[in-house]
Amino acid sequence: MLAVRRALRDILAGGVFIAFGLAFAFGALAYDIGTPLRMGPGYVPLSLGILTAALGVAIIIKGFIGGDSEGLTGLDWRPLILISAALLFFGLTIRGLGVAGALFGATLLAALGRSRTPPLEAVAIAAGLTVVSILIFIVALQLRLPLIGDWIPV
Amino acid sequence: MELFDNLGLGIETALRLENLFFCLIGVALGTAVGVLPGIGPTATIALLLPITFNFEPVTALIMLAGIYYGAQYGGSTTAILINLPGESSAAVTAIDGHEMARKGRAGVALATAAIGSFAAGTVATLLIVLFAPPLARVALTFGSAEFFSLVVLGLIASIALARGSTVKALAMIVLGLLLGTVGQDTYTATPRFTFGVRELYSGINFVPVAVGMFGVAEILKNLEDEKTRRVITNVVSRLWPTRDEFRRIVGPIARGTVLGSALGVLPGAGHVLAAFGSYSIEKRLSKRPNEFGHGAIEGVAGPESANNAAAQTSFIPLLTLGIPAHPVMALMLGAIIIHGLPTGPTIIQDEPALFWGLIVSMWVGNFFLVLLNLPLIGIWVKMLTIPYRILYPTIIAFAAIGTYSIGLNAWDVFAIAFFGVLGYVLLKLDCEPAPLLLGFILGPLLEDHLRRALIISRGDLTTFVERPVSAVLLVIAVAALVLAILPAIRQKREVVFADEDEP
Amino acid sequence: MRNAFARTPGERRTPPRRGIAASLASIGLLLAACQGGGSGASASGGGGDGGEAGNYPEDQITFIVPFSAGGPTDTVTRLVAEPMAAELGVEIVVQNVEGAGGTVAAEQVANEEPDGYQVLMHHIGMSTAPTLYPDLPYDPLEDFETVGLVTEVPMTIVGSPNFEPNTFEELVAYVGDNLDTVTYANAGIGAASQLCGLLFEEATGLDVTEVPYEGTGPALDDLLGDQVDFMCDQTTNTTENILSGAVKAYAVTTPERIDALPDVPTTEEAGVPDLQVSVWHGLYVPAGTPAEIVERLNAALKVALQDQNVIDSLADLGTAPVPQDRATPEAHTQHLSDQIELWAPIIEASGVTAG
Repeated sequence: MLAVRRALRDILAGGVFIAFGLAFAFGALAYDIGTPLRMGPGYVPLSLGILTAALGVAIIIKGFIGGDSEGLTGLDWRPLILISAALLFFGLTIRGLGVAGALFGATLLAALGRSRTPPLEAVAIAAGLTVVSILIFIVALQLRLPLIGDWIPV
Repeated sequence: MELFDNLGLGIETALRLENLFFCLIGVALGTAVGVLPGIGPTATIALLLPITFNFEPVTALIMLAGIYYGAQYGGSTTAILINLPGESSAAVTAIDGHEMARKGRAGVALATAAIGSFAAGTVATLLIVLFAPPLARVALTFGSAEFFSLVVLGLIASIALARGSTVKALAMIVLGLLLGTVGQDTYTATPRFTFGVRELYSGINFVPVAVGMFGVAEILKNLEDEKTRRVITNVVSRLWPTRDEFRRIVGPIARGTVLGSALGVLPGAGHVLAAFGSYSIEKRLSKRPNEFGHGAIEGVAGPESANNAAAQTSFIPLLTLGIPAHPVMALMLGAIIIHGLPTGPTIIQDEPALFWGLIVSMWVGNFFLVLLNLPLIGIWVKMLTIPYRILYPTIIAFAAIGTYSIGLNAWDVFAIAFFGVLGYVLLKLDCEPAPLLLGFILGPLLEDHLRRALIISRGDLTTFVERPVSAVLLVIAVAALVLAILPAIRQKREVVFADEDEP
Repeated sequence: MRNAFARTPGERRTPPRRGIAASLASIGLLLAACQGGGSGASASGGGGDGGEAGNYPEDQITFIVPFSAGGPTDTVTRLVAEPMAAELGVEIVVQNVEGAGGTVAAEQVANEEPDGYQVLMHHIGMSTAPTLYPDLPYDPLEDFETVGLVTEVPMTIVGSPNFEPNTFEELVAYVGDNLDTVTYANAGIGAASQLCGLLFEEATGLDVTEVPYEGTGPALDDLLGDQVDFMCDQTTNTTENILSGAVKAYAVTTPERIDALPDVPTTEEAGVPDLQVSVWHGLYVPAGTPAEIVERLNAALKVALQDQNVIDSLADLGTAPVPQDRATPEAHTQHLSDQIELWAPIIEASGVTAG
């Protein structure tokens, strides 16, 4: 158990590579593999996928030999969720709400990602940033993005 | 003495008032689009092309070229300050440049980038004057076998980009290569790993990967650290490198310039390979390799010089053969055609004022860039005094809007979130993003050239060792791999022995 | 022979040098031109106002090019966009939407508001996509209104400088004798260079080894460097290199010789009359665009095709605007459906699809 705890960081890292490698390798099987001399579209992804997984295994082995998981902490979920949500919100609403709405929502969610920022201050930051961004991108750079989107009747 | 006549003509052309003026406009505009993530030089040049119809051809090209190298320059500013590389080559500058900024040496990092770029730009301009035609001929002898071997060498050299484990760096490179296979296959047009999303047919966009893996991942890491310890030093000690630091950057600048000038001539990802290659060389040569990744000034000076030198010499194939080395050069070619000028190998003879004027203007433009940017360093550095609770939502906002504006594609914005989380998780597991990014950029090149070389050789694998240039590159690659892995194995043994020693 | 290029600076067509004052004035335009910033949302963002033809055009128009900036299609688009913008009295922004052999851009425009603010410039690929892409999400004939043909660019069969054959007859014989070493470069599935190669194979009965590239630029690069043997590319790319002797020219793929390359024989002269292909370009708007808007765009196109700068620039590239009677929606639709029928059996026989 001690060995596992010490190797934990490398076991997790190896796991990420094995997961990606196998996912791509299995995905590649759907395409024509071909031969080394006449490679199909699946050949390179399949080989790279296997190689990624193999390196993942190597990382785990190395972890058991000389791993060190000092300072490994869990994920901090609040910023992770809120900042991902901010970007998803922007992508989903930019056409519908327009730059103003999408940016305000996104920056508000992002600002709330930091637990020590009080909600009211987050609103103020979001409002300020929306104005500044619109000034830079829409007014100065004249990007032709709709300020107000389709969902909002004018 | 013909050279001096030519140079004289070039100087006369470049120093005409309107050419000076539009050169300045070009580099200023370029710096601006380079600083903001997303809106790159390609989009800007494409948009400004119609305006330049009214200019004289040489004026038009001078301004468009100014946008291009100005953007290379601006890209490193955001990479250093907020770890947001907007251009692929600036990803290398971010590694040590941003570390320097975290340690309160942002001014020194920016000044080093400016000095390195200017020195490299000056030398590269001179190289174009002296060697453009022969260099272009050398570039043509590079076939797919040579490119494949060069990319392999570049990938292996990039292990040096990581601070920690060699195996993890290798795994990150290969994962990057894997992500690079997403999209339509050049050979059969088969869409791979696209899940029916047509926006993914042309592959995952570089900008969301870079912005996510570097910028957003770091924000997530910082917000977590903030609870336990404060890491960012807002105190800025000084703007200028000390005498000792000057001494330390001379070698990297010189080597970076040579490497960048050579690789810039090659079509494709020459300037990216140059920046990554220079970093690996400096880390290998340094007496203090442990400083790399923790704010080594050489890690800023070398890649910045290499990158800028390559940006200049990438004009060589365009000007001597009429062949564009990358999309920006293709646009320049379009501009030449639209102005009704010849585009082939005859451009030097037919349009000497255009050719030499453009070349001299590159030096002038580099000079303007230094003039523009040195006084700005103080202002840029002030940006770091913005409290983090305001700075990081700003980065998110700029990343989202800048990335979205590239192709009005919401998938690009979703991709930032995906790569941000992936980068954060990997960072916690001691896997650093730079090797992945290089693999991602070079992956399609690697596959295309591998498959093409094998078709041309009718499936004969010996083509890679029978062609001398390719063979030499592969030998260096193998040597580099052995050098990288040996210490790791030795270390492993030591650990094993250590374990045995203490029961 | 080089008359098209032997212009002295004084004769250059570009407008005379402007004074600084005029230059300053154009700076204002610089920022104005940043409008668009890779836009495409301009018209659709406004939403719902499609169908109003009365005052068209009131706002900037976006021309969507399905291929990369700087390529031949992009160059042709930018050439005609300038006089069309002047004629229509609004700005025209050229936007490059690359991917999937031009089908990403076509699909995007097919789904835009039919208000005339999103115009697609597409080439021969419009007619081959239905056969190459079995699950194409649009129909080239049903989902678009044609505005008119723009130009037909001839193709040239060219060889690397050290490639042995010197004439088209020698080429066919040499390729036949050396099938296991000869390589033919093309720009990938669906590219004009690939279609031309298919025709070459069909006309000569030879099965040539094809080497695909990401575009004809890199392909030409390898041809000049003697890495591949021969290819077939539009005159927009090859004319300069043929004239300077950097590549060998075997034939042009048109019924008659072309003015820019008077010494290069036609494929018919060389004995393979079936090897005829030209890369035609046309403008499209989404189906349902009011007839008045299509007419307005077509009128501007016709004017642009008579513009001296357009004619001269296209001549330098070895081509010319289509005659006025072909720059019409009717002629364009006819040509499109003819081409779809022409290419379908050839592509099906070759067995390539992008499924």
